[in-house]
Amino acid sequence: MRGALLIAKKEFLELSKDRKTLFFAFVLPFLLYPAIFGMMAKMAKRDEAQNRSKASRVYLVDPSSAIAGLLQADSKRFELVPKPEGDLRQALRDQKLDLAVEVEPGAAAALQGHATFSITATTDESERSAEIALKRLREALDGQQKAWIQERLHALGASAQLAEPLKLEVKNAADPALEIGKVMGRILPYLLMIMMYTGSMQHGIYATAGEKERHTLLSLMATRLPRNQIILGKLLYIFSMGVIAALLNLLSMGLSIPFMSGGSTSSAQALAAVANPMTLGLTFMIMVPLGLFFSNFILLMGIQARNTIEAGSAITPGIFLVVFLGIFTMAPGVDKMAFLAYVPVVNVCLALRKLFSQQFNQMEYLVSFAMTVGLAGLMTWVSTRILNREKALFKA
Amino acid sequence: MIQLNQVHKSFTVKDRKTRAAKRIDAVRGISLEVRPGEIYGLLGPNGAGKSTTLRMIAGLMDPDSGSIHVCGHETRQKPEAVRACLGYLSTDMGVYVRFTPRELLRIFGEFQDVDPRVAERRGLHLLEKLQLADFADVKMEGFSSGQKQKVSIARALLHDPKVVIFDEPTTGLDVLTAKTVLDLLRIMREEGRTVIVSTHVMPMVEDICDRVGIIFDGKLHGDAPPLDLLRSRNAKSLDEVFFQLAAESEEIH
Repeated sequence: MRGALLIAKKEFLELSKDRKTLFFAFVLPFLLYPAIFGMMAKMAKRDEAQNRSKASRVYLVDPSSAIAGLLQADSKRFELVPKPEGDLRQALRDQKLDLAVEVEPGAAAALQGHATFSITATTDESERSAEIALKRLREALDGQQKAWIQERLHALGASAQLAEPLKLEVKNAADPALEIGKVMGRILPYLLMIMMYTGSMQHGIYATAGEKERHTLLSLMATRLPRNQIILGKLLYIFSMGVIAALLNLLSMGLSIPFMSGGSTSSAQALAAVANPMTLGLTFMIMVPLGLFFSNFILLMGIQARNTIEAGSAITPGIFLVVFLGIFTMAPGVDKMAFLAYVPVVNVCLALRKLFSQQFNQMEYLVSFAMTVGLAGLMTWVSTRILNREKALFKA
Repeated sequence: MIQLNQVHKSFTVKDRKTRAAKRIDAVRGISLEVRPGEIYGLLGPNGAGKSTTLRMIAGLMDPDSGSIHVCGHETRQKPEAVRACLGYLSTDMGVYVRFTPRELLRIFGEFQDVDPRVAERRGLHLLEKLQLADFADVKMEGFSSGQKQKVSIARALLHDPKVVIFDEPTTGLDVLTAKTVLDLLRIMREEGRTVIVSTHVMPMVEDICDRVGIIFDGKLHGDAPPLDLLRSRNAKSLDEVFFQLAAESEEIH
């Protein structure tokens, strides 16, 4: 193992000489996430405040003035605007107004006669300002509807409770930590996999096909170090870089949480409750063999390639596979498919998802862990066997 | 001491047009012996099998049949022991340009299990001999090909190997640097090392080699001292011998 450690040391020393790569690998994540998340949170907050402070622009068609007075009276929340030129739907999409409300012509008469009338609201729900406008309209109409019902019941001499046989009270059983845990459980495995893979990728290509391209691999092979030690040393380096990249990115994301929550401590406290040492330890334990599996794949493709371009072409599709599997495991209902515990890579994502959402299943975790360890071990054995061949090493 | 006994090596390549696998016999039954304190010159055109032969001697490739012994070790059975007593240099070997020569030699000293203090001392001594001591702490990114070749030579000799294999050591070097390399080869002979040099430069072979072997189509011709070879072929120079062998080879085919 001494030889493998010496090779890994050489790789790290070589990396330490390249300031640009050091900056991009170790410093940038710490600056990038807080900057991006901070900026995003600030922009979202400003946008929300702007949307909430200004009145929603409503084009109202109400021939019998059934609700016009209601909206006009609430000038802080509603601004009635004239009919825009051209197509109404297009005007909504172009954000010339937030809401178009059409009340049926006989609304006032229906109201008088204790009948029902309809209101049609048209909006572009993909816009936040339209969403707020619709919510405001619902609130205004709900309040008014209650008043009208009270009036009708009063006229009939009935009690106010007649139209309200039950009251539904909803209590949220999930504490903030569980809610955050569920969100993290969906996103975290996906992020960890991508970070580990991409973190290993560039360094893996540099240390394998790059060595061939720079004609330095032969000088390593001409030393007394056994070939399998050279291969294992490179594997150790690629794996370490993947783990370091994933940990640094996660740490940086963790540090960005205060920026995201606008400085509030509640989400940070909830996060701290989820990210307890046990959960983090189990996460790390299962990510190690998965990282080893990825590193082996990168090593295998890298050493067999003639140059860095060829290695890049062979290794890059792996990202798409990782992204696909990651997205698949985020889908609702996937965690209920028991057979997925036997599908490599996917089972790690699911085990982590359950771990963070406090649905930890010991057996499923152990199956996933054992399978990933076995797979990583098999892959390491295959790598050292294949890469020991002259055909792979002298391919040029 | 190097001993090759009926060594064969072939490669399978794919014909791009017909997609059929084709066997190429790179080395065909080569036997030779190189003794300590001797410089052996291996000549031959491109693709004749020189580099493959040298790589097999260095334990980097395995022969298909036959046997190779270096420092008393069989290359297939103990490749690490072979490489421990051998210094190998090839023109297509690069250096780690992010390091300085001193750093590179320190790292390779560790790889070769040389005591760090000894590696430091010996590395600097070699750099001095190769007139590169002033650049010992300069990053190799801006080095010329000659400077890089000198660092490679120092790397190959750092662990004080008994056997030295230089595959075309003067290719791409200017006259002065090439002379430095040749002087170093002479010193190594005086120190009793076993040296094999492959080259295209005939005057260099006549000048420094004790014995010469010419490889054509994977076969070894004329394993003898340069003067004996000239006499036996009735030739004035090794170039002439080379052309004679090339003509004979074409006649056979």
